[in-house]
Amino acid sequence: MTTHETAARERDEVFLELTKSICPVCKTTIDAEVNVRDDQVFLRKRCAEHGEFEARVYGDAQMYVDAQRFNKPGTRPLQTQTVVKDGCPQDCGLCPEHKQHACLGIIEVNTGCNLDCPICFADSGHQPDGYSITLEQCQTMIDAFVAAEGEPEVVMFSGGEPTIHKQILQMIDLAQASPIKAVNLNTNGIRLASDKRFVAELGKRNRPGNKVNIYLQFDGFDVETHKAIRGRDLREVKQRALDSCAEAGLTVTLVAAVEKGLNEHEVGAVVRHGLAHPAVRSVAFQPVTHSGRHVEFDPLTRLTNSDVLHAIADQLPQWFRTDDFFPVPCCAPTCRSITYLLTQGHPDDADFGLVPIPRLLQVEDYLDYVSNRVVPDYEVRHALEKLWSASAFIGTETNEQQLRQVAEALDCADSCGVNLPEALHGIEDNAFMIVVQDFLDPYTLNVRQLMKCCVEEITPDGRLIPFCAYNSVGYREQVRAQMSGVEVADVVPNATPLQPLLTPTPYGSRQVPR
Amino acid sequence: MTAHPAADAATLKACCATGYSSDVVALLLGPSYHPGGLRLTRRLLDTIEAGPGDRLVDVASGIGTTSLLAAQEYGADVDGVDLSAANVALASGAAQSLGLSGRARFHHGDAEALPLPDAAYDAVVCECALCTFPDKVTAAAEMARVLRPGGRVGLTDITADPRRLPPELTGIAAWVACVADARPVEEYRSILAGAGLRVTAVERHTDALEQLVRQVGARLELVRMTSPGRLEELGIDLTRAGPVLAMVQAAIRDGVLDYVLLVGEKR
Repeated sequence: MTTHETAARERDEVFLELTKSICPVCKTTIDAEVNVRDDQVFLRKRCAEHGEFEARVYGDAQMYVDAQRFNKPGTRPLQTQTVVKDGCPQDCGLCPEHKQHACLGIIEVNTGCNLDCPICFADSGHQPDGYSITLEQCQTMIDAFVAAEGEPEVVMFSGGEPTIHKQILQMIDLAQASPIKAVNLNTNGIRLASDKRFVAELGKRNRPGNKVNIYLQFDGFDVETHKAIRGRDLREVKQRALDSCAEAGLTVTLVAAVEKGLNEHEVGAVVRHGLAHPAVRSVAFQPVTHSGRHVEFDPLTRLTNSDVLHAIADQLPQWFRTDDFFPVPCCAPTCRSITYLLTQGHPDDADFGLVPIPRLLQVEDYLDYVSNRVVPDYEVRHALEKLWSASAFIGTETNEQQLRQVAEALDCADSCGVNLPEALHGIEDNAFMIVVQDFLDPYTLNVRQLMKCCVEEITPDGRLIPFCAYNSVGYREQVRAQMSGVEVADVVPNATPLQPLLTPTPYGSRQVPR
Repeated sequence: MTAHPAADAATLKACCATGYSSDVVALLLGPSYHPGGLRLTRRLLDTIEAGPGDRLVDVASGIGTTSLLAAQEYGADVDGVDLSAANVALASGAAQSLGLSGRARFHHGDAEALPLPDAAYDAVVCECALCTFPDKVTAAAEMARVLRPGGRVGLTDITADPRRLPPELTGIAAWVACVADARPVEEYRSILAGAGLRVTAVERHTDALEQLVRQVGARLELVRMTSPGRLEELGIDLTRAGPVLAMVQAAIRDGVLDYVLLVGEKR
C-alpha cells in the first residue's frame, strides 16, 4: 500500500472524457484524459516509460461541448483492409472497427519538394533518398479508394510537391478515368507561377463532371510569415500562381497553415484576399500540425480551431461571428468547422454583398443529430450534410447541386414574390467556403476522434489510413522506409518539454535516439 | 391596452394575422420560422411536460412544424389551427407523408374563435404568434376554453416595453408592426391571468430574438444582392433598414425587446 497526503482538496479542472492516445515519444497506445481548465480543453496522458504529456486541444470549452451534438452516425466503407488486432490506432487501416467511410482520399505521389519549409508535416524537401510512386502504383491506390467507396467524391494529389512529379498529369487522367468525381491538387504554387503550359493542361482537365481544384498553400502576407513557415518570401510566386489559375479557369482554395505567434493575425486578410481574387472560391485554415518537421512549440499554448474562429470574427467583425461556423458532423465534430457565404462584387466596392448561409436557415435544426429525431425537411438535411463534409469542395457538381437545394429551402416565391432560386441563379458562382481544420498530432491525438476520421491517406499497397494516424503513429515513416529502401527514423514532436531528448533527423524533423 | 397609432387592429390583422406567409414578412422571415427553432420548441414542449397521448392544441400552427414534432417525438395527439388555408393544406400533407394523419390534424380557423370543443385538451402551445393577434384577450380566453382544468398553456413570444420602444421602430414595415404590438411580459401575464390561466414559469430567450434579427438582416442583404427592385416595390428603403436593424439590436441589448417562454396552468 502506498499512501499519499493530498495537497489541495479541490481539483482545478472538469474531467470530461477518458479516451486513448499515444505516447508522443514511443507511440505506445496509452490512456488519456480530456479536461476543462480555465475555459479551455486539454488532453493529458502518461506513458509508463516517458512520463506525463499535456496539450491544449480546444481553446474554447463551451464551443467544444456545444459541438458534440453535431455528430452524424457513420457510414461503413464498402471494404476494409486490415483486421482488428492491437486496437486503435495500431491496426490501420481501415480496420473493421473504424466508424466512418472516407470522404476524402489523399494520394502522396512523392516525398521530394522544391522547397524546404521549416514547417512540413510530410518532412519533405530536396531529399535524394525519398520515393516517387509509379503510374501503376497510382492506379492501385485509385482502385483501392474506389473499392472502398464506390464513387468517391474527391481525391487529393499531394506529396512532397506533386507538381514536380513528371507524371502528375497522367495521374490526374487516371483519377478522371475512374469513378472519382473530382480532383484536388495540393501545391505550393511554384510550378503554377512559372509554367503556363502546365497550368493550361490542368485547366483543360477541369471540365464538367471532372472538376480540378487547386489547393494552394497560402499562409499570409508578411515577409516574416513566409520566412518562418516556408523559409522564403513567396509572395510574388503566390500572386502569379493565383493569376495563372484565374486565366486557366481553375478554382483555388487558399490553404493557410496557422502557427501560434506567427500568422494568426493574418487570417482576416487571407479571407479578404480570397474574396477579392476571381480564382479563389474557398479558404482553409489549418492550425499547424506538430507532426513531421516544425518549429519548436509549447503544447500547452498551441493554436486550435476555436482560436482561428475567434480570430476570424475579431478581425472581420463586419462579416463574421463565430456562430456563423458549424462543426462538420461526418468526422468528429471538433476536428473541422465550415461556413458558406454568398457574396457579390469585390470587397473594396461600396455595394459589396456578403451573407453567411447559416444566418438564412437554422443549420442546427438539421445537423444536430442528438436533439433532432425529427427534422423539418430531409432533403435539406441531405444537402447540408454534403455541404458540411470533408468531401465538400466548392465548384464540384455535388457541391453546386447541394447549394441549389439549400437556395430552394430559402424560397418564399409564393408569398413574397421573390423566387430565390431564380434570383440566386448562378449561386454556384457566388458561393464561398471557409474551412477550419485542426489535425491531430502525437500530442493531441484522441482515439475517439481518430476512429471517426474521414480523411484517409491511401498507401501504395492499397490501405486507407486516417490522415492523423498516418502522420502521428509512425505509418508515414514505415511507408517511406518501405518505398525508398532507406531506413527512416521515428519522428517525435519538436515540443519544448521534450527538447533535452531530441536530435535532428536527416530531414529536419526530430527524433529520440534509441 | 393601447392600439398602436401606426398600426391599428385592422392593419395588424391584415398584415400579421394572414400569417408569416405573406409579403414582406415572408420575405424577411422565410416561409416558416420562429425564433429559437426546433431547440426552443422542444424546450417549450418539455416545460409543459408534453407526453404520449396528451391532447394538444397548436395555435397558429403554420406549416405544422411544432405540431408534427410534438406528435412524432412526444407522442402527443395534436390539433393545429391556422388562419392560412394554404398552411393548413401544407401541414396536412406533411402529416400524411409522415404517416401521422391519425395523430396530427390541421384546421382552418381563427385564434380568436378556435374551431375546437370546450375543455377537451391537456395543453395548448402558441409559438411567436400571440404578439400578432389584434385581440389578445379573446385569444387567451379561447386557449383557456379548450383546456381542461389543470391543463397547461405554453407560449413563446416577443415582449416589448412600448414606453421605451424608439419611435422609429413603430411605423415601418409589417414585421416591425408585429413587434410594435408585442407587450411587456407583465401584460402577457395579466392577459393570461384574466383568462383564468395562472402563469407558473417565465424564461427569457434573448439569444433567439438576436438570431432572428440577424436573420432579417441576412435576408435583406440577400434580396438586395439578388433582386433589389423587389425591395423598392415592397417599400423597403435599404438606406434606412440598416440603422433600423441596429436600433432593434440596441433595443434587445437594453431589454426593451426580448423573447420569452411563458407557461401557465388552467385553474
